[in-house]
Amino acid sequence: MSETNAEVTSEATSSANGDVILRVESLVKHFPIKAGVLKHTVGQVKAVDGVDLTVRRGETLGVVGESGCGKTTLGRTIIKLIEPTAGRIVFDEQDITEFKRRQMRPVRRDIQIVFQDPYASLNPRMTVREIVAEPLQIHGIYRRGEGRRRVEELLRTVGLSPEHANRFPHEFSGGQRQRIGVARALALNPKMMVLDEPVSALDVSIQAQVVNLLAQLQNEFGLTYLFIAHDLSVVRHVSDRVAVMYLGKIVEVGTREQIYGRPMHPYTQALLSAVPIDTPNQRGKRKRIVLEGDVPSPANPPSGCRFRTRCWRAQEICAEEDPALIPRHGGDHPVACHFAEVMKPLDLVEDVAAASKAG
Amino acid sequence: MRSTRRSGGLVPEPVLEIRDLTVEFNTEDGVVHAVTGVGYELFPGEVLGIVGESGSGKSVSMLSVLGLIPQPPGRVVEGEAFFKGEDLLRMPRNELRKIRGGAMAMIFQDPMTSLNPVLPIGDQIAEAVKTHNPGTSDGAAEARTIELLELVGVPFAERRVHQYPHEFSGGMRQRAMIAMAIANDPTVLVADEPTTALDVTIQAQIVEVLKAAQKETHAAIVLITHDLGLIAELADRVVVMYAGRVVELGDVFTIFDSPRHPYTVGLMTSLARLDADQEWLEPIPGQPPSLITPPPGCAFHPRCAHSQSRAICRTEVPELRAFGEGLGHLSACHFADELDAAHIRVGAGAGAS
Repeated sequence: MSETNAEVTSEATSSANGDVILRVESLVKHFPIKAGVLKHTVGQVKAVDGVDLTVRRGETLGVVGESGCGKTTLGRTIIKLIEPTAGRIVFDEQDITEFKRRQMRPVRRDIQIVFQDPYASLNPRMTVREIVAEPLQIHGIYRRGEGRRRVEELLRTVGLSPEHANRFPHEFSGGQRQRIGVARALALNPKMMVLDEPVSALDVSIQAQVVNLLAQLQNEFGLTYLFIAHDLSVVRHVSDRVAVMYLGKIVEVGTREQIYGRPMHPYTQALLSAVPIDTPNQRGKRKRIVLEGDVPSPANPPSGCRFRTRCWRAQEICAEEDPALIPRHGGDHPVACHFAEVMKPLDLVEDVAAASKAG
Repeated sequence: MRSTRRSGGLVPEPVLEIRDLTVEFNTEDGVVHAVTGVGYELFPGEVLGIVGESGSGKSVSMLSVLGLIPQPPGRVVEGEAFFKGEDLLRMPRNELRKIRGGAMAMIFQDPMTSLNPVLPIGDQIAEAVKTHNPGTSDGAAEARTIELLELVGVPFAERRVHQYPHEFSGGMRQRAMIAMAIANDPTVLVADEPTTALDVTIQAQIVEVLKAAQKETHAAIVLITHDLGLIAELADRVVVMYAGRVVELGDVFTIFDSPRHPYTVGLMTSLARLDADQEWLEPIPGQPPSLITPPPGCAFHPRCAHSQSRAICRTEVPELRAFGEGLGHLSACHFADELDAAHIRVGAGAGAS
């Protein structure tokens, strides 16, 4: 079952199946809900609930979704900061699902993570040099003199100056701290990086600096990125392919052009239509699909399709059958919707009703 | 004496006029010059967007006018803020309190911290109604509360008035905040990052609610945000702030189509867009300045692509001045006239596929 799904996902967008660096099959992560003095498990938060995806060497796969959709848990489970409940993770042709701490150590050289909050992810008591050198020391490859040079080279690579090495994180702005986080992740020459909302905490002008830096590093070192974010514009800019998540599942995956230009899942369409316009000239010219209600609780997701409670296309079958993530209705990329059809929410139209007062 | 920069016949009296506002904060590291010589006007029924990045002073300028910055450590050094002919900055606290939540109402970023967690939502809105309309009966206040909640799109309002804030989702709490803010038909509605804490689909809902609220009350809205998309969506005019000063001010279409301050230009080119492919983003280099020891001259000069290290940028603070056809487009750049649309990437349409 899971195998066929994975095949479809990887095969659907292009034929290049050969160079897959990461394959995730039917990945599940449930967190128990404990209650009472005795801490009985009274339920499960189904943060990630059956995710299949593949990442190819050298590409950027964007994962988008709103808060609580499980995208952060997905990223952390993939690199096994969190143990998966079920499913399979194959990284660089090794099944790492059951790997213990010690076995994971060499894998961690190859797959690194950059966190969202540059204020919380750097130890305030360590100097920048210590922070960037730490992964080298842990892996026993920090040599006196040479190690020092390596740290300074890394700082230069991320656009900081070597003189910054003796300072502490609090002496830096948010953007600079994120650069330090990137330098630390780069220290071991990884093949892949999981970037978990790497620019969301930063101001716009600084965001662009970090986005460009990541792109430049990818070109230079041939890195593969799993770029997790909620900002649809940033994800569009950085990604080759994009996966859209809703309540623990991927509802649609495809190339950037497929997802942004020809989205087929109602949720993707609603999400795109909700993004604010780029300039005031577009006022009243963008279709707006305003979704009713809020995201249901991942502890008690709806039966069948999880999006059906907010979906304007939902019918009986949606409550009964969980739609598989497969190409549908003449589409060219996998979409998990019984009634998938192309809609182009980003196209400007001249006659959106209720085109309100002009400025 | 009121300035009449706008063209075309009758200029309405501003409902709020801020002049030369300077606000400082004393900190362990020194005096933070949060707001320096800021002035702008708010006209009846308009949406004035105040945009800037963290530390630009966009919130502080408005909060100090409303008497909402803690003093100390904050201190209004100078300035005036005229609302209906009275200077809010010199008004006794109890009078200012009557205006807040009445003629001037506020919506904040995080409704969880601005709602009382141990009081039902309905009681809090009813209280706002009764405080500013003494003598309203409980029944009338509740009826008004339900009416307000329905207006902002809270479903099953009769039932939900009895619920507590934690029983509301983030989007619903923000709706309740808006209901409370418009309870007394405000003349001025200050919305400080009203959608920042919310998911995209919920943001879109709240934008619609804000539009509905304005339609209902005809209030002038001050929309404080870092989100240019929200500005593009809602604002009529825009104030751009950097390092505690206003650097550009103008009509929203002008600001997006032909910005005349290098900082505004940089903000626009930094943004990833949904409607165009960009090989690289064009960020503003460097870091935001320290507000304790701001750079001399134009605070933006160390990051400015246009200054080309000309001396005047380093020595003289540029004045906010009108130019062009004098249609209320102001820029605080010594070389504003050199900047034109050529510096901006082609916007809507051209790049879309």
